[in-house]
Amino acid sequence: MIGGLKYFLSEACLSLWRGRRSSVLSILTITIALFVLGLFLLLSANLERTVSEWSRSAEFSVYLRDEATPIERGAVERGLRADASIAGVDVVTKEAALARFRRDFPELVPATLGAPGNPFPASFEVRLGSSAVNASALETLATRLRTMPGVADVRYDRQWLDRLASLIVFIRWAGLSLAAVLVLAAGLTVTNVVRLALYARRDEVEIMELVGAPMSYIRGPFVCEGIIQGGSGAILALVLLRAGLDLARPPLAAVASGLVDGNAIQFLSAGMVALILLGGMLVGCVGGLVAARRLR
Amino acid sequence: MLAGRPVAPCYTRRRLHVVVPGMPWAAVERATVIEIEGLSKLYARDVFALDDITLHVDRGEFAFLTGASGAGKTTLLRILLRQELPTGGHVKVDGRDLVALAAADVQAYRRALGFVFQDFKLIPRKTVFENVMFALRILGVPDVQQRRRTFQVLKWVGLQHRANAYPVELSGGEQQRVAIARALVNEPVLVLADEPTGNLDPDLALDIMNLFREINGTGTTVLVATHDRELIRHVGRRAITLDHGRLVETA
Ligand SMILES: Nc1ncnc2c1ncn2[C@@H]1O[C@H](COP(=O)(O)OP(=O)(O)OP(=O)(O)O)[C@@H](O)[C@H]1O
Ligand SMILES: [Mg+2]
Repeated sequence: MIGGLKYFLSEACLSLWRGRRSSVLSILTITIALFVLGLFLLLSANLERTVSEWSRSAEFSVYLRDEATPIERGAVERGLRADASIAGVDVVTKEAALARFRRDFPELVPATLGAPGNPFPASFEVRLGSSAVNASALETLATRLRTMPGVADVRYDRQWLDRLASLIVFIRWAGLSLAAVLVLAAGLTVTNVVRLALYARRDEVEIMELVGAPMSYIRGPFVCEGIIQGGSGAILALVLLRAGLDLARPPLAAVASGLVDGNAIQFLSAGMVALILLGGMLVGCVGGLVAARRLR
Repeated sequence: MLAGRPVAPCYTRRRLHVVVPGMPWAAVERATVIEIEGLSKLYARDVFALDDITLHVDRGEFAFLTGASGAGKTTLLRILLRQELPTGGHVKVDGRDLVALAAADVQAYRRALGFVFQDFKLIPRKTVFENVMFALRILGVPDVQQRRRTFQVLKWVGLQHRANAYPVELSGGEQQRVAIARALVNEPVLVLADEPTGNLDPDLALDIMNLFREINGTGTTVLVATHDRELIRHVGRRAITLDHGRLVETA
């Protein structure tokens, strides 16, 4: 078993070396396909993470009328606390709102607060739960709260984030479709390159058949060749992605500093890396099998 | 030519007893090795390459298969190697029905045979030693045994000193001896050869025939196709003659 594998590997490597030009070609097509796949996965994973962070800090505030009665306030607060997607509710009194304004914008205080009295409404500031928040449910809650007595306004700025999230889903699917096409093309290239190797060694293959070598023994090296091509292509794609990310980080950080922290961009998860590597090897394996299947 | 070779073959008929899984019949000894009944082969319509051949070759026999070019010698051997299926009739080799042989068992069947081709069919990328050892490796014989046995057989054909050479570095006669070594190394019940001396000059042809005679001397059944009547007369064994696909005489 181990001896057989060693034989497959050494035969495959020899064949790859002898047909190195076409081997390089097929490795590169796999690299391109998997690079595109990896790039889209990288982009969508990072965007998704960013958006979900933004969502968590998204504001959901319920402003109260000054004339709201304690009963009305109590009803609103109970309504909020009863909702499953809400992690917590902070009560901000009129005084607290004013104090916060004075603290945050001291230079504006003389201009805006010339008149006596407190123009700030009391409010409930809502902390939303994890990313698994149901957007439409929150929307319904917001609408319901708006009609409650004592409520002046409900601010909920999560809608555009949800739109962004669906855009990311779209980007991901577009990327996956593009990658699927490229992976298919790469698979065909591997098939043809293995077929070339097979053609170059057809005399040898014929001799092995006549001497009675098991078909698995004859096909093994060719399938192995495909797997090596796929695996090398995948490794190359991952290395390029990693290097590209490291190169892109400083300029990204400079350009988009306001939006994202350049250093917060993460590489593909270990699972994704394994997926790409195994995917490359699988494509190569299928290519090799398809080519070698034509042997009798 | 073969002076450096020991006269008595070092090669003995101690079988390796490589029992192919699912082929229990391999161990059964039979009096008749090749049983052909009413065999016909049609390549194109109405052109019989073989026409109603009935033929038996006994265990331990040495037979020639002869006839003019196009008589059907190669076709018969191809059927025996299961490269071709007959159009009609029955073929059994060592009890195995070749027509009924499942595709998955063809390779295993071939491993139990020895075959020598006119054009040697050595793998150019492999050395002489590797070419011969290959036939044992695919049988799953343990490594040490592979080497010992390969060396033994190479010595027997007088090529142990060329073990590390590549086929292109050998003369035609030497290449054919390597091919014969490969056909023998698995200790087959039956050795088939299609014009094994066709590419060699007459002196070498006799040397090669002597090798086949020695193989036969150890009890292996040998069937050699050749159109060289001179050679057949010289060796003086049974000759099965084909003419336009028909069996003419078996003398
Ligand atoms: N693959 C094939 N397709 C069609 N016809 C074939 C094929 N192989 C052989 N034939 C025909 O079958 C007949 C027998 O051919 P075969 O090769 O068996 O003859 P042979 O006795 O080996 O001849 P030679 O001494 O020239 O090698 C010939 O008429 C040949 O043309
Ligand atoms: Mg012929």
